[in-house]
Amino acid sequence: MSKGKNGGINRRDFLKVIGVAGGTAAVTGACSGEPVEQIIPYVIPPESYIPAIPKFYSSTCRECPAGCGIILKNRDGRAIKVEGNPNSPINGGSTCARGQASLQGLYNPDRNRSPLKLNEFGRLAPTSWETGTNDLSAKINELVSQGKGSRIVYLSNSISGTLNELVDKWTNAIGAKHYTYESFSYDSIKEANSISFGIDEIPNYKIENADYVLSFGADFLETWLSPNQYARGFSKLKTVKNGKVGKFVQVEPRMSLTGASADDWVAVKPGTEVFLALGIANAIIKNGGAKKDAGLVSGMVSSYTPEKVSQLTDVPAETINQIAKDFTKFKSVALGGGVALTGTNATETLVAINILNYIAGNIGKTVDFSDTQLISNANNFKDILKLLEDMKSGGVDVLIVHGVNPVFTLPKSLNAEEAIKKVPYIVSFASFMDETTELSQLVLPDNHSVESWGDFQPTKSYVSIIQPAMRPVFNTQSVGDTLISLSKKVDSTKELINEETYYDYLRSAWKNVANYVAPNKQFDLFWNDTLRDGGVEINLPERSVELSSAVQSVKFAEPEFKGDGEYYFITYPSYKYYDGSGANKPWLQELPEGLTTSVWDSYVDMNTETAKKMGVREGSFINIQSPQGEIKTQVFTYDGIRPDTIAVAIGQGHTAYGRYAKDRGVNPLDLLPNMSDRLSGGFAFLSSKVSVSNAGKHSLLVRTQYTRTQHERGVAQAITLDQLNHPDDHHGEHHDEPDFYPPREYPNHRWAMNVDLNKCTGCGACVTACYAENNIPFVGKAQVAKRRDMSWIRIERYFDKDENGRMDTRFLPMMCQQCGNAPCEPVCPVFATYHNPEGLNGMIYNRCVGTRYCANNCTYKVRKFNWYTYKFPEPLNWQLNPDVTVRTKGIMEKCTFCVQRIKYGTDIAKDGDGIVKDGDILTACQQACPTDAIVFGDLKDTTSQVAKLSHDDRGYKVFEVINTKPGITYLKKVKWDNA
Amino acid sequence: MSQDTKLTYSRVTTDVVAMLEKPSVKWWALFMISLSFVGIGLICFIYQVYVGLGVAGYRHPVFWGTYITDFVFWVGIAHSGTLISAILYLFRARFRMSIYRIAEGMTVFAVLTAGLFPIMHLGRPWNFYWLFPYPNQREIWINFKSPLVWDVFAVSTYLTVSSLFFLIGMIPDIAAIRDKVTEKPRRIIYSILSFGWKGSNWEWLHYGRAYLYFAALATPLVLSVHSVVSWDFAMGNVPGWHTTIFAPYFVAGAIFSGLGMVITLTIPIRKIFHLEDYITLDNYDGMAKLIMFTSGIVGYAYAVEFFMAWYSSSPFEWQQFMYRAVGEYALFYWIMVICNVVIPIPLWFSKVRRNLKWLFIISIFINIGMWFERFNIIVISLSRDFDPAAWGVYKISWVEAGITAGSFAWFFMFFLIFLKTLPSVSISEIKEILPVPKRGDK
Repeated sequence: MSKGKNGGINRRDFLKVIGVAGGTAAVTGACSGEPVEQIIPYVIPPESYIPAIPKFYSSTCRECPAGCGIILKNRDGRAIKVEGNPNSPINGGSTCARGQASLQGLYNPDRNRSPLKLNEFGRLAPTSWETGTNDLSAKINELVSQGKGSRIVYLSNSISGTLNELVDKWTNAIGAKHYTYESFSYDSIKEANSISFGIDEIPNYKIENADYVLSFGADFLETWLSPNQYARGFSKLKTVKNGKVGKFVQVEPRMSLTGASADDWVAVKPGTEVFLALGIANAIIKNGGAKKDAGLVSGMVSSYTPEKVSQLTDVPAETINQIAKDFTKFKSVALGGGVALTGTNATETLVAINILNYIAGNIGKTVDFSDTQLISNANNFKDILKLLEDMKSGGVDVLIVHGVNPVFTLPKSLNAEEAIKKVPYIVSFASFMDETTELSQLVLPDNHSVESWGDFQPTKSYVSIIQPAMRPVFNTQSVGDTLISLSKKVDSTKELINEETYYDYLRSAWKNVANYVAPNKQFDLFWNDTLRDGGVEINLPERSVELSSAVQSVKFAEPEFKGDGEYYFITYPSYKYYDGSGANKPWLQELPEGLTTSVWDSYVDMNTETAKKMGVREGSFINIQSPQGEIKTQVFTYDGIRPDTIAVAIGQGHTAYGRYAKDRGVNPLDLLPNMSDRLSGGFAFLSSKVSVSNAGKHSLLVRTQYTRTQHERGVAQAITLDQLNHPDDHHGEHHDEPDFYPPREYPNHRWAMNVDLNKCTGCGACVTACYAENNIPFVGKAQVAKRRDMSWIRIERYFDKDENGRMDTRFLPMMCQQCGNAPCEPVCPVFATYHNPEGLNGMIYNRCVGTRYCANNCTYKVRKFNWYTYKFPEPLNWQLNPDVTVRTKGIMEKCTFCVQRIKYGTDIAKDGDGIVKDGDILTACQQACPTDAIVFGDLKDTTSQVAKLSHDDRGYKVFEVINTKPGITYLKKVKWDNA
Repeated sequence: MSQDTKLTYSRVTTDVVAMLEKPSVKWWALFMISLSFVGIGLICFIYQVYVGLGVAGYRHPVFWGTYITDFVFWVGIAHSGTLISAILYLFRARFRMSIYRIAEGMTVFAVLTAGLFPIMHLGRPWNFYWLFPYPNQREIWINFKSPLVWDVFAVSTYLTVSSLFFLIGMIPDIAAIRDKVTEKPRRIIYSILSFGWKGSNWEWLHYGRAYLYFAALATPLVLSVHSVVSWDFAMGNVPGWHTTIFAPYFVAGAIFSGLGMVITLTIPIRKIFHLEDYITLDNYDGMAKLIMFTSGIVGYAYAVEFFMAWYSSSPFEWQQFMYRAVGEYALFYWIMVICNVVIPIPLWFSKVRRNLKWLFIISIFINIGMWFERFNIIVISLSRDFDPAAWGVYKISWVEAGITAGSFAWFFMFFLIFLKTLPSVSISEIKEILPVPKRGDK
């Protein structure tokens, strides 16, 4: 095998290797350093290649530490779509919006396209891999030979698995330090578990086994630990079965997107969740509801009577008693997390929550310590602070940055930027010119995970594989290969690694996994199976957990707040941008934030009353001041936040990081003081009281929906459990009204859809999946301000109030209803839209002249018009799906139920027995939906899920009175009535 | 009709031909202003075609805006021409005689203006001909269910018939001019346009019949065109559009606005060309009475719309109409009500009807009010239809404003040409009501 130019392997050689490895292995991934201009996909195609037939590769999503299994769709040499991998025990086939948008990281026009080196003009200029790695290895050689190896620091994100091993192996060999930094590292959970149970790990919360979820601030449907996994649990919780449905109570000062899906939102005073948890425990023990011996803790909670707690937390005593009753009555789980719960007393709070779970007998049932989350690997925040100190004092000579952007994600008050600037030689493996990379002397850009080999271990019980689905878009190289080539160049590590490439290294490493998991299987067979399945599960022994007496040492106290402002300041990770790493993806920027429907910018949540008092309204700019700094952003008036609290999401406010992220919105981290959780040392995000003042400016807060309520139109309907179980009339039943016209005949199929509003969380995964599948352009803030976003699905969000004055937030995904009696069809003068024999409202782009009458007449306003010919900046256009026409100006478009997938599915069926089985065809939105709220299928197949659900008691059609006969049946949201 | 005894056959001819003399500087100035605005409109349109419809103010969910408003406005203006020339001809209303030619010209030019807008508002205007049923290899036909196709037929028929009516009605007059003009080129053109008219009894007999039949043919068109235009909306299911009242409501509105425009145009013309002897106060009185009547119908329609919205107990309808009255567009709604219902009230007094200054001012307000009526129907209804999540507010863009201004200029450009090339007062019909000349008269 000949070596490639830069230590990688040639494509031809690579193909040979894969040819040996056999069938399912990737054929397109490699890590050669050839310039991108010369790469024309498949000039000489591999033998198995059939044009226009996509290939699918199992891999792992690396957009957050959850490690969801994904399947990458490769069409003609390019990865064009991310799908969830149904085999993955993490996400079970779903993805989130961030996962969907990872392709826009891959094809981002602002990616570092080649190694960059600081030139004599002080600019980072392109260089070769040879020069780049030589420079770095020379530097390392110099330091190592002087015995200063420990002055080299490798700072990475949570890279578990083989890469982590390689990094550790190499850094150890040269004597360097390896720090693992995660923006949200959950130190307090680990510390609390260590205190409560003697286990310094994060358990697996089995929401799917619970009937009652009590979440203290945990945004488990957004960013908390493993959102897709918990969304699946939530879906189970919210499945209506035999007239029963699970209940979910969210305790937090600001109702998050997760909280919006809760049956009850408890607006606790910020930082006092600890007392609430103790109060509930107190009530449980008092009522004799404890299922475990509470002797160890009864003394700790005895003074926290509901009445006293009520005063401390602003939560009515009867609510506390009610929760206590429900918590032991049902199979329950209490979650503690979310950035809202990262006060200086976070660990105490989590200990209190552990007590709750313990006395309710949840440990080992819904809180499973036998399988733990491996995000636990991240270094404690104290170590990161120490590293900063080291750098400040000049103790670091080389800083290698991999997958993190500390200059952005660490609060300004920690002066990370200054500290890093003190380091004389900074090397970044970053794909983007982010805030940290801008400070570096050398950039050796990593491949995107879609272009690399690797593995990742999200939990103890599962190791998943990362395999390339295409050749690198740019002249980049995976960190694994970079490290191997470096190790060969550094004198002291020449013999360290035998393998020539990271791919070989990975395979060697997996031999160990194979020995452990399947000792009797031939390795190549095991390897191919793993590549096909996406990973392997590891059987773990049960682990019995008991409450440790150390718990008694915990003193529960109020959190500390810095600043003398009037308002508690909440910063929370955005489910779109996570810690800011998503901000450079236009799909995420243009995805309407679930609660506000705001796009492309920051905003501050402020209670309507507070805003009134301040004399500001929605869209007014306000200054938010803390001793650490000041930010200015627009107000969103929101009834879902306490009047004494304001909140800004983390993720925007980049000063670098490409055209889509730069100079957009504000970074709330600028305001935070350097405060830590008292017990764990984790960074305390909730530690600031800020003052606000009217900035005297107003402009439109750009959103996709300006209406808050349903205006009594019954768009997103709900039903109480009581009504569901005692239907006193026949509201739920459908009587076919006599019709003037004969019914439409559908000879073969009638494609239809169900959307369960009880499961929809408004997360927007479907929206982004639709963008990816259907070549929907993004239009930018100015155009969204003119309501010209092109999304084919919109998540309608309604803030109605129920009869008790409580927030009743509902989400409804609205897309083309594929009406049987469609208002759009008769009005088109040129038959550009018509009814097809399978029940779809066909849309023929070529024929459209753009009268837009169809859109006017659409009852659901789901048609979108191409006001311009939208641009996909190179190479974002590489992602375009060849099965879907790219539209030009002057044409109407809308949801087609992914007609290309229907076509593909029916064509595949034709090759077989000609029967399309239920579930063979998944629309993009359905495939992505983390809660399985969307079901698609054929109504003509009476056994299909969609046919059954369309007769569900909860089923209804939106605007049924218009008699459009929609193909989409919505299932009413089920509300718990306290009775 | 009270007769000015000074008018004689010969003077009528001389006066009308005098209007066709070499244009003055003022005319050229007006013409050049019109032309430059047409140019601005054209540039706006080219820009829009090149860049995309996004340069207009459209936004989800308002997919029709100023252009369709302009279209309906100009179709409405086009109405009174045929009304005056055809219907009033059949009813033998004598007050029409002095103004019908101007009204007819206005009709033809207004249809020419209106016809541009459905093309300009298309997303892909270069494919506009796809709306016509022309034979093609792909055997693609048009959708006869679509009101937009009806529109194509209605407007093109109306343009054809009103142009023919306009040209046929002018034959004797053009012949009279032909006999008066001296320059050769003009003579030739007028000769062609007069179809060799000699003024024989036989010719007059056939001409009279033809005119009568054309009037009879044009009469239903007056009602049908605007009914069909109204069905563009009424056939849609948008609350605020979907109503059976639209056809009569639109026709009445069209006559109302058309008469308003006739008054707006004739008062200055009368003054400039000293046509006081021809277009008399009685004529204006008659038109003002018609305006009073149609204003009443329009006002009634406004009220009935509200009543039906309430009576239907449909939240969509009722909220739509409340939104019109108090929502973001309330200003436009009340401009419409005041201009179309309140301001014409003084016309109930004959003093106002016969005071040209007041009449002129009122007519301007009617034009404004009727433009907003169409705007309100189209834009406000679309802004808030069924799904609250989709609601949005439309804002006009400079491109749309430019094209609208250009359309007015386009209309006036034609009108100015008309004034200087064709007889804007009907010589033959005026003569019909003059006493027959006797020997010794001048």
